[in-house]
Amino acid sequence: MSGTKAADKVMSLDAALSVVKDGMTVGIGGWIFSGQPMALVRGLIRKGVRDLHLVPAPGSVAPDMLIGAGCAAKTACVFISFEHLGLAPNFRRAAQSGAVEVLEMDGPGIAGGLRAGACDLPYMLIPDLGTDLPKVNPAGYRKARIQEGGRKLLEVPAIKPDVVLLHGQQADEEGNVQYFGPSFFDILLAQAARHVICSVDRIVPASTVRQDARLTKIPAALVDAVVVAPFGAHPGASPGLYGQDEAHLKAYVAASRDAAAFGAYLKDYVLEAGAEGAYHERIGACTLAALSAGVAAP
Amino acid sequence: MPATSNDYALGEMLAVLLARDLGDGEKAIVGTNSDIQVAACNLARQRQAPRLWWVSGPGGMTNPTEGIVRPAADAENIAVAQAVMDLPLMIDFIDWRIHFFDFAILGALQTDRFGNINTVCIGDHARPRLRGPGTVGISALTGLSRRFYIMMTRHDRGAFVPRVDFICGAGHLDGGTSRTDRGLPEGGPRLVVTPLGVFDFAPNSKAMRIRSLHEGVSLEEARDNTGFDLLVPDQVARTAPPQAEELFLLRRTVDTTGVLARKFPWPRAA
Repeated sequence: MSGTKAADKVMSLDAALSVVKDGMTVGIGGWIFSGQPMALVRGLIRKGVRDLHLVPAPGSVAPDMLIGAGCAAKTACVFISFEHLGLAPNFRRAAQSGAVEVLEMDGPGIAGGLRAGACDLPYMLIPDLGTDLPKVNPAGYRKARIQEGGRKLLEVPAIKPDVVLLHGQQADEEGNVQYFGPSFFDILLAQAARHVICSVDRIVPASTVRQDARLTKIPAALVDAVVVAPFGAHPGASPGLYGQDEAHLKAYVAASRDAAAFGAYLKDYVLEAGAEGAYHERIGACTLAALSAGVAAP
Repeated sequence: MPATSNDYALGEMLAVLLARDLGDGEKAIVGTNSDIQVAACNLARQRQAPRLWWVSGPGGMTNPTEGIVRPAADAENIAVAQAVMDLPLMIDFIDWRIHFFDFAILGALQTDRFGNINTVCIGDHARPRLRGPGTVGISALTGLSRRFYIMMTRHDRGAFVPRVDFICGAGHLDGGTSRTDRGLPEGGPRLVVTPLGVFDFAPNSKAMRIRSLHEGVSLEEARDNTGFDLLVPDQVARTAPPQAEELFLLRRTVDTTGVLARKFPWPRAA
C-alpha cells in the first residue's frame, strides 16, 4: 500500500489477486448487472480461494458465481438479484440449503457500516426502521443507547473489507479510475477497504484522464492495484462501453439449475478457459463487438 | 384471474393508476428494477404533476425523461437527467433523514393485512423455502417517506398473506397506532395497486380495505385471492379504467418503445 510506486499499480490479474487469502472479507462493487468485476471474480475462482466472507453491493452474477463456485462461507445480502431474469440461482440454492451463511443487511446497514469503516469509527448510528433484520443479524444491528424520548437508533459495526474488487471503464498508469456511468457504492467501498483492486476495460494516457477529471471517481490515492481487463464486466455491463449480455446471462441461469450443470459452466468458461483471453474466445469476437455496438448479439 | 383488457397491458394499467395519485411538486425515489414506477412518475409529470421530482436511488439521476423507460440504474439516463448525484451523498437523505421523500413505490414477494413488505424470504430465514433478493432501500423508504405505495403484479394467496414471513419494510406493523408506538415517523402505505383492484387502509385499524375493484372483478374473486379478510366498504367502487388520454400520453411521451406492454402483459388464463 504505502510506498508503492505509482507505475507499479498496473499489474496482471494474477499478481493483483495474490493478496486475496482464504477467509478474507471481500467487498464487491457495481450494481446488479452494472460494473460487476467479473474478470476478478473468475480469477478468484481459478485461484481456488475458500471461506471468503463476501460484502457485495447490490449485485447479481459476481456474488452468485463466487457462491456457486464454493468460494464463500458467508455473504452479506443487501440485495442479490437477476431482476427480470429471476432470482440469483446459486445464491438462492446455497441460502436455502444452508451451504452459505447469509448475513441479512439493508441499505442503511451497508451505508452506515461502510461509512464507519471509512471514518475509522467503531460503528455508525442508523434509524431503527422496525424491520426483522436485527432478529436474524443481531451482531450487525445492535440496539443503541438513546436519550429518553429520542429517536430509536441501531448501531451497525464498521465494515472494513480486507480487499474490495471494483470495475471501472478506464484508468491511467497512476491508478486514477474513471467511470462513464454511476459509481454506486464503489467510492465508499474503496474508502472503507484495506486494499483496493480495480479492473478497467482499458488503460489510457494521463492526458486522457485530465480531459475530464470529473469522471475520476476513484482517485489514485485510494487504489492499490489496476488490472487491465477488456470486457472485464462481461456478462454484465460496463456503462458507456458495452451492455449486458442477455443471452449469456440466460444461459448462465439455465446452467445454474443444479450443481452439476453449474460445474460444467465453470469448467467451460472459467477453469479451462484459464485466462481472460481464452474466455473472450469462448464468448466470441462477434458477440463482444455486438455488445459494444449496442445491438443484439449475432 | 383478473379481467384482462385488450386495450392496455397490466403494466400500463398499474402505471396509470399509480400516476393519478402523485402530486405536483412532490419528491420521490425510484429503486432498482422499477419500470412501472419510472413510467408512473413520468406520466404524472406529463399530466397533473409537472414539477414532480424523482431520483434514481442507485444511479443518482434526477428527472430522467426522454420517452423511453429504462432501468433506473442505467447509465443512459445520465444524458437526459437534470443532475447526477453520487450514492455516498444520497445515502444521507435516503437512509437517515425523515420525510425527505413524499413517496416511494415498492413491489414485494409478500404483503399483509397491515401493508408490511417482504422481499427477503418465504419460510424461516435460516432455511427458507424461497430465498428472495433482499431488502436494499425498502426498509428506509417504508420507514422514512411520508407515504408509500405497494405495487403488486400478482394478487393471490401466496402474495397476500395474513402476516409476512419477514418484515423488511414496515407498513402499519400490527395495525392501529403500532407503527408510531414503535418509534417510526408518521407514514406507512397509502394504496396497494394490484391486477384485481386498488386497496387502502382503514383510518383507525389500519387494516387493508377495498377501495375499488377493476372492471370484471367480483368481490368473491378478490376475497378468494387474498389470504386475510379484506375490509369491505358498503359500496364497492369500480376502478376507473385507464382513459384514452392517459394511454396516449403514456405511449407517446413516457414509454414510446412499449417496455411495459412487453414486460408486464396480462397473465395467461390457467
